[in-house]
Amino acid sequence: MQIEENIRVAFNGLIEHKVRSFLTMLGIIFGVASVIAMLSIGEGAKREAIKKYQQLGVNNIIIRDMDLSDKELEEARAKFSPGLSMKDVEAIRQVVPQVVDVAPQAEREVETKYSDKSLKATLVGVTPCYSELLNYTADLGSFIQEDHCVRQLKVCVIGADVAAKFFNVSDPIGQSIKVEDQWLEVVGVLQNKSLFTETVGELASRDLNSDIYIPLSTFNARFEPTKQLSSELKQITVKVEDTGNISHIAGIVENLVSRHHFKNKDFSIVIPVELLKQEEKERRIYNILLGSIAAISLLVGGIGIMNIMLATVMERTREIGVRRAIGAKRDDILSQFITESLVISITGGIIGVLIGLSLSLTISLSTEITTNVTLYSVVIAFLFSVLVGVTFGYLPAKKAANLKPIESIRYE
Amino acid sequence: MRIQIKNLTKKYVMGEVEVNALRGVNLNIKANEFVSIMGPSGSGKSTLMNILGCLDTPTTGQYLFDSIDVSTLDDDKLSEIRNRKIGFIFQTFNLLPKLDAVSNVELPLVYAGVDKAERREMAINALKRMGLANRGGHKPNELSGGQRQRVAIARALVTNPGILLADEPTGNLDSKTGDEIMAVFRELHDEGNTIILITHEPEIAEYADRGIVIRDGLITSDEIHAEARKFHHAQL
Repeated sequence: MQIEENIRVAFNGLIEHKVRSFLTMLGIIFGVASVIAMLSIGEGAKREAIKKYQQLGVNNIIIRDMDLSDKELEEARAKFSPGLSMKDVEAIRQVVPQVVDVAPQAEREVETKYSDKSLKATLVGVTPCYSELLNYTADLGSFIQEDHCVRQLKVCVIGADVAAKFFNVSDPIGQSIKVEDQWLEVVGVLQNKSLFTETVGELASRDLNSDIYIPLSTFNARFEPTKQLSSELKQITVKVEDTGNISHIAGIVENLVSRHHFKNKDFSIVIPVELLKQEEKERRIYNILLGSIAAISLLVGGIGIMNIMLATVMERTREIGVRRAIGAKRDDILSQFITESLVISITGGIIGVLIGLSLSLTISLSTEITTNVTLYSVVIAFLFSVLVGVTFGYLPAKKAANLKPIESIRYE
Repeated sequence: MRIQIKNLTKKYVMGEVEVNALRGVNLNIKANEFVSIMGPSGSGKSTLMNILGCLDTPTTGQYLFDSIDVSTLDDDKLSEIRNRKIGFIFQTFNLLPKLDAVSNVELPLVYAGVDKAERREMAINALKRMGLANRGGHKPNELSGGQRQRVAIARALVTNPGILLADEPTGNLDSKTGDEIMAVFRELHDEGNTIILITHEPEIAEYADRGIVIRDGLITSDEIHAEARKFHHAQL
């Protein structure tokens, strides 16, 4: 009941000195708002990264054939390296027991046509397991089937952009598109894949939506390699049982492939989950930095509160004396002034939370940056403002409580 | 409610000078007395009032308040005594300017832990007693000096303390209003309250039954006033 009284007095004081209270709160408001906005940016970036790497498969090891110049390629072949090939795929599948599945993939840039429209696309030769390993699902029709591969059928699954460009309104399934000099029947359309602007290790960013997938066997039978010395495969995706010892398995796979290539470094290995961890580590440092800036802002806010509370105590010395004379204990005065600084900091905290939320919304709406406000960031920011209120309100309140009643009651 | 003071001294250190504000005061005040303590400024009367009001503690000597040795009490206990057993009335009223009259009167009850509805009722009753029933919602600056002092008296009375300590209660009032306030004190005394009045004006001291004069930290005279004496004799 006395707490209620304290809060009432504190709020009256707050309303009476609107400008002063607001200026005092500014530090807390900015501190809390920046904590929330910064954490929301960090969280947004984290989710983006997770999404990105999930698309590459968290259980996957990706082996890419390196883009070599003609001269380097000649050198590698002279040293008996065959480049990435089905032999590597077979070897990995047989030698490494923790491997669940291996998806080979061949690529080439192609010119593709449908009626009067033409398009540059990447033709990708794959096996059916590809869709499962890389989480590719077809929006329409189906992905490449085992039967397609066995019979080397001239079928294709097209990316969302290709479908949009060629088949604006009509149903693409069953239609035929011309890729180089081959006619391929569309059996499926892939779901839209978000485009990455950054590169993931050796995996150059590429618009997956303008890919055209065909059976690997058809690719080999129907399309001549662009260069004489090109490797048979562009990429091998290896799926392992669990992510726990993925680096270890990657090491084994690397040794194995390296031996097959007679120690030629003509391929690279990417472990998406490791990259994710790496990125998270870097982001943590970044978050700590941002957090410290926000913490400094809160600290400054706290000092502002302390400053104004000290002034308030001076200003109200006489009031304190009167209250003491009519029976207020030291603790009553202490709690009254702590309540006042808490009311300032909590009010500032609430305003800060609201500004922080709208700030993070504004950022995500007006820029490319994805933001994500988590409950814990709001709770942390708010608790911090409460902590600041108690900590920095304590000293002035203690000073008020220790005033001698006779001296303060005569204070002019 | 008895006050017994034995050999009370109080020393202050002001800068480098040591001030002996009280130099061995002996005083007994019984329940329902109306005592004035008079003396020029610097005589030690304010120091005595502060000690009597448990706002300050003596350097040496004994102060028994209602048979309790005050020097053995800690700050919280002293606050409690001030809250429950003593009502202060000051020269400058010392009302809180932001609170209206009722809230000012309520304040001691807040610290006594009385719940909201009850303390409001008690405060309104105290104001009624002071003839300010319709002034409860006014802030101190909307009231006249006399009204403010009445609010202050209501605040002093609201906890039913039994003893009222008034420090120059008419000092900031014109003589007519001062007389009115003194009439209030007389009335309160007749209702059974112990009243200790600190003043430097002989005319005001006249209102009390017993006049004590303090000079240079010592009581120089302590006598029953003529009229009161008559009253005493009549009772005997």
